[in-house]
Amino acid sequence: MHLRRTILGATAALPMLAALPAHAQVAPDAAKAFITQSGQQLVAVVNSNASTAQKADQLRQLVDQIVAVDTVGDYVLGRYLNVATADQHTQFLTEFHQLLSYNITYQIKAYQGITFTVNGATVQGNDTIVDTTITRPGQADADVGWAVDEIGGAPKIVDVIVAGTSLRITTRNDYASVITSNGGQVSALLSAMQNQIDRIKSNQ
Amino acid sequence: MSKRNRVRKNRVNSTRLAAFAAPGILLAGLLSGCATPPPQSDTADYQAYEQQDDPAEPTNRVFYAINDKIDHYAFKPIAEGYVDITTQGIRNHVGDFVTNFAEPGRIVYFMFGGKPRDAGTALVRFLVDSTVGIGGIFDPATSLGYPETDTDFGLTLAEWGIPAGPYLYLPVFGPSGARDVFSLPAEYFLTPLEPAPESVGTRIFGYSETALHLVNTRAEFIQPIDQIEATALDPYATFRSLYRQERASQLQLIDQRDTPSTPDWFQPPTAPQK
Repeated sequence: MHLRRTILGATAALPMLAALPAHAQVAPDAAKAFITQSGQQLVAVVNSNASTAQKADQLRQLVDQIVAVDTVGDYVLGRYLNVATADQHTQFLTEFHQLLSYNITYQIKAYQGITFTVNGATVQGNDTIVDTTITRPGQADADVGWAVDEIGGAPKIVDVIVAGTSLRITTRNDYASVITSNGGQVSALLSAMQNQIDRIKSNQ
Repeated sequence: MSKRNRVRKNRVNSTRLAAFAAPGILLAGLLSGCATPPPQSDTADYQAYEQQDDPAEPTNRVFYAINDKIDHYAFKPIAEGYVDITTQGIRNHVGDFVTNFAEPGRIVYFMFGGKPRDAGTALVRFLVDSTVGIGGIFDPATSLGYPETDTDFGLTLAEWGIPAGPYLYLPVFGPSGARDVFSLPAEYFLTPLEPAPESVGTRIFGYSETALHLVNTRAEFIQPIDQIEATALDPYATFRSLYRQERASQLQLIDQRDTPSTPDWFQPPTAPQK
């Protein structure tokens, strides 16, 4: 029974696997170097004297360079990638980019004065996890893991892991809940994402 | 037995009974408001429903909304006030003290879970931090190579092979599960105060420790919870996912740290030459 389910599941997942862009493992040293460089860029932007709007613009550009946003977006959409139409998929990725940017902007003030230390890197499954310790004034130190994959020939961040919890799995469950609460309609997720974007815009 | 003692013993027995019965009553109450599963023909939706394993979702969401209000109007303002009058250093020491206070319970949980190395680490931590660490205010044990490994009775049951079961969101206590809910009565009894003689002093100390634990923990999570509530499309589902992942991660860490290892000073015996 379990074997039958596994085979059926694997067959169902094949189109999704084919849709994912080719990615390969990154060597631990290369992943560490990439996170060190990316982290230094991020810290430089967050701790600069630029205005919040300027910092947000710089961070959006940096995120597009160092994070595999489309790959993460497809992972987050999960099983509904097969249910969504091509137009819905395109709209989802556009909104996902926007929300990611706004969520990062939301944290700029909270991360003022941030410093970070790269501790080590290990290969776990398809990803290379780079462990870092992030220090913020007036806050407890946080151990954060960065999952790095080679996508399109360059290393990119595909996940952030804090205290054993994965950001992409959490977001996938968050989005899946919106879809299931609305009778399995991907359009409901797109509306919820748009509402969230509008709400954040109006609060800025 | 004097009448006063008998009344006190009856009261203690009632409290113990309530602590044991509470999970069962909660389970029955929560499962009475169940979610309707989607049809199995709708593969993607049905898979999502099964993965969520939250059949009491409608009731859980009601409790989530109530807890959210309590948090918004009581816990969070208190935690913010606490942050205003304390430094991160003080909050770290309070955290160390609370952690140390729960260490004897962990020793028992690890032993029952068949994790002797983790139990040994918890014992060393309790002895070192309670003495050198001045009652647990400091945590020299971590620097000595004995880091904290958190556990509770729910994780002991997991070590026995009992599955997590459906997700539950409890009034006041928050995220839990059909297995983890049994941590509540265990935590009630497994504190160093339980064997201590009953007195006004121990009672005041017990209430103060619980209050400090709650406020200090809530203070630690002000920013992450604010962020989830501001950025998640469905904060209830986000907290559910985080809870499940964190429990799996805790279990993994317990198993990882219980792996037998050979100390550097140990010389393995050489095989006798024939």
